[in-house]
Amino acid sequence: MNKLTHIPFITEQSNRLSFNEVFKNTIRKPLLNPATHVLLQVMAAQFTLRPSLNRYLKGVDGWINFIIGFKTLSGSVEQGISFNNGKVKVLTNIPRHAEVVLTFSNEDALVEMFRLPPNEALNLVLKNRIVLEGNLAYLQAFNFYVSLLMGDKHQKMLKKAQQDDELAREKDYGGGEASLCKEFKARPQYRMTCDSNMVKQDQGVNFLDDPYLPNYSLEDFPRLRGFLDDHLNHKAEVCAERAKWITRYYRENGFETDNDGNKPVPEIRQAQAYKYLMSNKRPIIRKNDLLAGTTSSYPITGSVVYPDAQGVMIWGELLSIDKRSLIPFDISQETIDSLHFDIFPFWAKRNFNEWMREQNDYPICQKINERWVAYFVWKSIGISHTIPDIPRLLEAGTLGIIDEINNRLKANDPVIDAGTNALKAMVLCLEGINSYAENLASLAEVQAEELAQQGTEVKRQKELGELAKICRKVPMQPPETLDEAFNALWITWVGLLNENADTGLSVGRLDQWLQPFFESDIKKLSSKKEKEAYIAHAIELAGCFFMRCTDHFPLGPDIANFLFGGASSTQALTLGGVTPDGEDAVNDMTYIFLKVTEMLSIRDVNVNARFNKAKNSNAYLDRLCEVNFITAGTPSMHNDDAVFASLKPHGYPQNHIRDWSATGCVEPTISGKHMGHTGSILMNLVAGMEMALNDGYHPLMKWHLGPKTGSVDSFDSFEAFFNAYMKQQTFLIDQSVELNNALAAIHAQYRPTPLLSALIDGSIKNAKDVTRGGALYNSSGVSNIGLADVTDSLLVVKKLVFDEKRFTFAELKQVLDNDFEDNTSLRALVQNKVPLFGSGDPEAVDMANRVAGAFHGYYNRCRNYRDGPYTAGFWSMSQHVAYGSLSGALPSGRKAGKAFTPGLTPQPSASKNFLDNICDVAKLNPEFMDNNIAFNVKLIPDSKDTREETVNTMSAYVKTYFDHGGMQMQFNVVTSETLRDAMAHPENYRNLLVRISGYNAYFVTLNKEIQIELIERTEYGL
Amino acid sequence: MSSPPLILDIKGNALDDGPGIRSVVFFKGCLLDCDWCHNPESMSKKSEISFEAKNCLGVDSCNSLGHSLCEISCPEQAISIDNPLLIDRDKCTLCYECVETCPATAITQVGEIMSVDEVCQRVLKYKSFYDSSGGGVTLSGGEPTLHMEFVSELLKKLKSNGVHTLLQTCGLFPYDKFISLLYPWLDTIYFDLKLYDEDQHRRYCGASNETILNNFVQLHQLHLEGGAEVLARTPLVPEITDSESNLKAIAKFLKENNVSRTQLMTYNPIWQDKWDKLGYNSEALVDESLKTWMNQVQIEQCETIFRDAGLQLVK
Repeated sequence: MNKLTHIPFITEQSNRLSFNEVFKNTIRKPLLNPATHVLLQVMAAQFTLRPSLNRYLKGVDGWINFIIGFKTLSGSVEQGISFNNGKVKVLTNIPRHAEVVLTFSNEDALVEMFRLPPNEALNLVLKNRIVLEGNLAYLQAFNFYVSLLMGDKHQKMLKKAQQDDELAREKDYGGGEASLCKEFKARPQYRMTCDSNMVKQDQGVNFLDDPYLPNYSLEDFPRLRGFLDDHLNHKAEVCAERAKWITRYYRENGFETDNDGNKPVPEIRQAQAYKYLMSNKRPIIRKNDLLAGTTSSYPITGSVVYPDAQGVMIWGELLSIDKRSLIPFDISQETIDSLHFDIFPFWAKRNFNEWMREQNDYPICQKINERWVAYFVWKSIGISHTIPDIPRLLEAGTLGIIDEINNRLKANDPVIDAGTNALKAMVLCLEGINSYAENLASLAEVQAEELAQQGTEVKRQKELGELAKICRKVPMQPPETLDEAFNALWITWVGLLNENADTGLSVGRLDQWLQPFFESDIKKLSSKKEKEAYIAHAIELAGCFFMRCTDHFPLGPDIANFLFGGASSTQALTLGGVTPDGEDAVNDMTYIFLKVTEMLSIRDVNVNARFNKAKNSNAYLDRLCEVNFITAGTPSMHNDDAVFASLKPHGYPQNHIRDWSATGCVEPTISGKHMGHTGSILMNLVAGMEMALNDGYHPLMKWHLGPKTGSVDSFDSFEAFFNAYMKQQTFLIDQSVELNNALAAIHAQYRPTPLLSALIDGSIKNAKDVTRGGALYNSSGVSNIGLADVTDSLLVVKKLVFDEKRFTFAELKQVLDNDFEDNTSLRALVQNKVPLFGSGDPEAVDMANRVAGAFHGYYNRCRNYRDGPYTAGFWSMSQHVAYGSLSGALPSGRKAGKAFTPGLTPQPSASKNFLDNICDVAKLNPEFMDNNIAFNVKLIPDSKDTREETVNTMSAYVKTYFDHGGMQMQFNVVTSETLRDAMAHPENYRNLLVRISGYNAYFVTLNKEIQIELIERTEYGL
Repeated sequence: MSSPPLILDIKGNALDDGPGIRSVVFFKGCLLDCDWCHNPESMSKKSEISFEAKNCLGVDSCNSLGHSLCEISCPEQAISIDNPLLIDRDKCTLCYECVETCPATAITQVGEIMSVDEVCQRVLKYKSFYDSSGGGVTLSGGEPTLHMEFVSELLKKLKSNGVHTLLQTCGLFPYDKFISLLYPWLDTIYFDLKLYDEDQHRRYCGASNETILNNFVQLHQLHLEGGAEVLARTPLVPEITDSESNLKAIAKFLKENNVSRTQLMTYNPIWQDKWDKLGYNSEALVDESLKTWMNQVQIEQCETIFRDAGLQLVK
């Protein structure tokens, strides 16, 4: 190895590295090791010798020390870089205690990593060409240091990449007609009226003359219009407020041990930090808002850092996160400094992933998770994928709940130590919320006073005066008016989002829970004019609530854009259905929320609608379809009967089942009583198949991780192959369950969640945090991705290899390994001669049911940490694209890297007749789908049809699908042309909403692969 | 007893062939020979072979010992990959070996024999969709009335199952037979009126329109007396049907017969490659004027003629 003593690239003036120059001279492989050494030496020298860089090596708690190792699989390269007490050294081998090791599958991967802009280097990681192992927080720190050096260069690369992308888009997708954009924008201008006969069908609608509220448009609500414009025109800003306060608290009071050297009780520790945070959290009332409080310190949109979860993962992007092309976040210098020096070093070893790793000795199940392609376990990010007991909050207020807890503490049953602490922690958290509310009240008073002194904005003064009164009252006391109820809910929501990462915390059946307030308010009014004004006010309030829900966006590293494209926090709202007693639940608030959904057309709140065949009206169904048409993709629609059937086997009482709400994306939980963590695992069903085709070896991971089930020639029957597939996939299921359960233990041990516990039915009675199983109902939900692709592959293998013996399995495998390149006629055979799932063929439906049933049965038999079952869902977020891009060619004819179908939607090629798709999906057994499904349909509006005709057709599809037993359906009502135009001219389509698979996103914020998948979904004309 | 009809296609989830969600049964064979026919594969009563070049994998991908699989399969040696239309139709005996062989379904059989029961089974599968949307089954083609007995049985079965029935017809059929075999089981009739002038009709459609016009008058009269709904439809074809004289004449004819509403079908030029698929040279067959879309101004001019005559235009 050449040891270069002279480092030619550093001059007094230059502080820019020239990697390209290094590689120009030393690209030959045998010299890659010394080249790497040189590069690292440059970096080491810079950081050791230059004070302006050296200062970054020390945080508030001291030097940020770690070692990163770089090696190739073959061993041709092995270098390390050590950051130790302000000195950076290059090591020629990687010590065992290195914090992170990057293993490059070959030399090219290493070279590419240095050459590519960071967003593309990410691809190397996803494709497993670089395997990362260790405490990735320190890798992020290293990336941050690199970005300090690379500074402008990376930005130039990013900028160029963006410009190239824009040109490519114009070339590939441009040339669309200007009228496309107009069609979409014109949709809200026409609004159906509800036929007076139809109005009578909704028993629960008592005050709206026309529940469709056709006379209102967004233009009638300038307040909401302003909020919406801000929302669409502003980037979210990284907010370190929460992180700063809790870090300060722990620094002063200790984390692992308190100031007396004792181990604190986790619930109490958590609660005390939380109360400190909420008491100090800056109260903000957004200008013109009717609701007080903001999730972060940025009233429009803030992105909260949860350093105890995955917050540290943006460490490496602190300097570039505002310039990245997908979902950039603004970030202030102050925040950058705070995160780098103060917060991230404190939490680098104190987050779910790290506790997991350390405690469990970095088990295989965790390593598989970090290879991206087999499954994704959500608990490293958060657990609050549930619906709090909002009715209880509205009924009792926080003080009422505190009373209940205190009574529980006094009660005469054996409440053990852990129970007492859990309860006390709940009280502390609720007190934190109360402080925050009081601070908001004071702020409102001050703001009102200021306006009064200026003598301006009389209306706003009055509103602020009202808000002050409201915040003095709620959420401590139970609310009595709709304004109070919304504020009670929102302030508590802010509280909940400051405890746990904003992933999937859902609002539940707000139409049910807020209707009494609406009714009580409006009944007090006598004149028609007053009632009209009040209805407008209620719409506006609901609109303010929706817009407040957009005030936070999950802080994701760039990889999240690939994995969870465009997903917001998916706060699911559930409308309609039946009451716990089984009566028609559709009411005035249902239609008010639908009106707000139609006017705002935003991605979060994630609106879901239940339809109960026996009790809900056609008027309601038609309105759901109209709103889908106007917004192009929301709400998602659920068949109550099918969901009931899926929940019944779990033994929930019928009145609880009837009270189900969609959680996160689409999954059902029993509102307010259920820790269901319904998105706990995102499982790739194709991974097991690739392993079954390769005797337990996964081609992308290049890892023989699965059991030995035989090579393809060894299968003498279809059943043999099916069993091999089951064995491989259940191996992956077992691993993911093991990881999820271990992480659950970590949550319980290190980071319980007392506030959420106080607001979930069961925890107070059981005197247990929900992480320990305090909730009345406990389960963990899985989303299984690729059902249609797997089913179709099994069908092809069965029919063509075993039944008709058209070719051997070995021949098929060879073709797959070459991605069908050298045998397109075999691919054509496979695509044309086998009836697929969605074609109407009964054998295909049976196969889908067989696969779904097998997995469902397996999951149900697994127990989670809280001793609940696992449930099986078949929706996919955007994983069908992510996993698809990482998976190889399949027997179904799918080529390598192609997206799977979304949710369990049949292949576009399965049938020309959409009705066959509908019928087949409806034939799936709901009992196998207790974590719901996503069935995506893309409809093309016909300009010749009237709105009424369009809605009639859409309703007919949904109704008949539900009649056949289908569980869930979601629309994208947009043409491929429009989507292509949006790819070329995103500026014209800022608010174009699409349904991915369970959630909504703005089309223009999605990565290209997801956009292409959406364009390529089969269209059905209306 | 006439030979069983060949069914071209049964299209499901059809939204543009009548009210609601429908299935459309396309029959093969037509008495007319219109220059602009959008479904040339429906003109002949006999079975045919269609070759869709864009589905073909190419001889490099699909071959055995250097010859394409379809070439090898043909006992008459009628197939050559050097022939852009693939099959020498003069040599072809319609044995369909090539259809069986082609893995990419680039070669397909056009028209298959199905029994009334088989057709019923295919369309009744979707009855729940018809019910929920006010849809049903549409018979089209080609010309369904060429197969009176078959269609009669089919309609009876559909009606006994409570399905809404709609017939699309060019209007050239024996009236009495139509009334006794089809009419009692028809809910709606879409009746084409293409060209009013007898000579023009002969020239562009290949037959006289006298029977057609008579049939229309009588059926519409029955409708006014409470019978099946009849909707007159005129395809707008550039330089053939869209002339002012033709459209005015049709409008006058409709008014004279107390017709209040009609439908105009705007021209769609993308059917010509179907001739290529059937083995005919579309370049040679199809006139230049038929190769472009009508523009909005032209369409509105046509519509105005009917509106001025006091007729309501159905979309």
